[in-house]
Amino acid sequence: MDDQKKYARLFNDIDSQALITVGLVLLSAIVLIIVSQRGLNWLASRLHGQVRFRIFALVPLTRLFVLITALAIVTPIIIEPSLRNMVTLLGALGLAIGFAMKDYVSSLIAGVVSAIELPYRPGDWVNIEGTYGEVKHVGLRTVEIQTPDDDLVAVPHLKLWDHAIYNANNGGTSLQCVASFYLHPEHEAGWVRKALRDVALTSAYLKFDQPIIVVAEEKPWGTHYRIRAYPVDPRQQFLFITDLTVRGKTVLSAAGVRSALLPPDATLDARNAAQSTY
Amino acid sequence: MGEYSSTGVSPLWEVVALDQFCPPEKTQASQWRRRWRSASKWLIGKKTSEQQVKEEHELRSLPEIRLAHLVPPVDWAPAASMLAQALDAQDAPVTFFITPPHGGHASVVTHWAKQHNAVCVEPPTLSELAKGDTQWIAHCVHQKSWAVPALERHFLRHTQGIQSIREFLERALSGRLGHGVIGCDSWTYAYLQQVIGIDGAPVFTLQSMQGEQLTRYFSNISASDGQYPSVYSTRTGKQILPALETKRHQAAHKELQRLAAHCRGHLGIAWHYWHERLREPSSGETQALWLVDALADAELPADTGDIATLVLHALLIHGGLDDQSLGEVLPFSHHEALNARLALQRKGIVSSWEGRWQIAPLSYASVRQLLESRNYLVDSL
Repeated sequence: MDDQKKYARLFNDIDSQALITVGLVLLSAIVLIIVSQRGLNWLASRLHGQVRFRIFALVPLTRLFVLITALAIVTPIIIEPSLRNMVTLLGALGLAIGFAMKDYVSSLIAGVVSAIELPYRPGDWVNIEGTYGEVKHVGLRTVEIQTPDDDLVAVPHLKLWDHAIYNANNGGTSLQCVASFYLHPEHEAGWVRKALRDVALTSAYLKFDQPIIVVAEEKPWGTHYRIRAYPVDPRQQFLFITDLTVRGKTVLSAAGVRSALLPPDATLDARNAAQSTY
Repeated sequence: MGEYSSTGVSPLWEVVALDQFCPPEKTQASQWRRRWRSASKWLIGKKTSEQQVKEEHELRSLPEIRLAHLVPPVDWAPAASMLAQALDAQDAPVTFFITPPHGGHASVVTHWAKQHNAVCVEPPTLSELAKGDTQWIAHCVHQKSWAVPALERHFLRHTQGIQSIREFLERALSGRLGHGVIGCDSWTYAYLQQVIGIDGAPVFTLQSMQGEQLTRYFSNISASDGQYPSVYSTRTGKQILPALETKRHQAAHKELQRLAAHCRGHLGIAWHYWHERLREPSSGETQALWLVDALADAELPADTGDIATLVLHALLIHGGLDDQSLGEVLPFSHHEALNARLALQRKGIVSSWEGRWQIAPLSYASVRQLLESRNYLVDSL
């Protein structure tokens, strides 16, 4: 009989007015979240440059703010907010989470952390466990990444806890692109380096306030050159790399610089190495 | 960059070092106004965002002859004299004189070359540029002094197209070509600064004009017969240019300061506004003229695509291009480049000038603002 009274005191008396209030608050929160998410995403997708990323960053923060506000309003209506009640409630929740919904709740908590720490936000180009693409939406439980092949991949936020998150532009407009050239060992390296730099300097996509670096690395089969440069907009990265590659090949072949070809035994070794990784 | 504040009567023409250039007062406000107009046009439509005191249908364009008399082409000779004065104090082998598109650098340098018997270097042909041919540089050798009126005609943005200009600038800056003056578009200069590195050479430009200076300029350009009618603004209905008898009390009217800010103080662009936007009443009952709202120009929508943006940027850094050259410097097919150029032409954003497609003067401000907002390389003027 005493236990019954204790549990009864955990919750307030919920009459029809309280139910309507809770319902209205929750409904308003849902509507507000939908409107703010769609509105901010719509606005940001029509903008360019740094403003775009700032508005995208507001998307998860706005949702978190609305959720916390709604919970702060609803909780005292349902529960008597005393210390004992909170301990009881949190204990029960902890048990439920520990046994049944550990990963789900872990993702939700990681979602809150991601909204504060911002390891990724919409518009960022990230690589999480080999999935590379543009963050399209940061949800409560998952982050949605659109790959260059136009696949939409939902990655749970809990990857934050124990996986490296590679963010290529980190909320900014600078994203380094790399175009590789594999050349036959017999060539004039100084000229090639200069020519590849000119290829980058004359690209229509080049962002000028970032450096252009041409890296050369000697390999047993030849020389591996990389142009490291930045496009004006991160979304131009594949067009930029293509432009560098196509024009770079044209310049090099016009100058008689040959591409490196792996010898047959090296090709075989490379194939075996590739197969052993699967 | 601070804004230029006029005290007393400023000279109309002032040649200053590039780092002394200041945009006119209210330039920032003009940019915000343009953004606001663009947003309000997007939200509530064109009609409501452009309230006018005098409607355009009550006005008509001026007859060609009268327009040519009232708004004759800009005479750049005074600017050339000012440039000559600035050059007198210089000892460097090469001096740059830069202005934005339609800013008259080619005319100023050509005037200067005539005044000083300097040889004007002819630009290379497209095929010479495509081959990276350096024959044109030979015209500067063994000359006491030489001038390149428009450096933007001497390069193309591709790997071969920058070779000859690189060699030319390396030789010129090291003093091996004697003394010379190079006229250059400000966008080309910004690009070459990044690609070749031309820091160190003295750079001059025309100081921006304030509203008061524009008032004086437009009042005087047709003063040969002493009859310049009053000019009113269709936006406010207020007088912009006073009639001749009140000239002594000229005051910089707000509307012309607004125009100066919109044009970033560049006379060449302001002249085009004046030339294109001057109207007379359809009824012909008065001699008064009207200036159609200066900012009601061909504006770019905020969602302008990447291809159009790249075309605009390519046109600016080359100071205008023909269709064939445009295809050479863009990373897509000639067909796509042509389609994008045609779309921009239909909207009035680009126009043809001496066989080259250029950003239309009345669209320049909005194009510059768009490119800047998208992190493209922009000029410093």
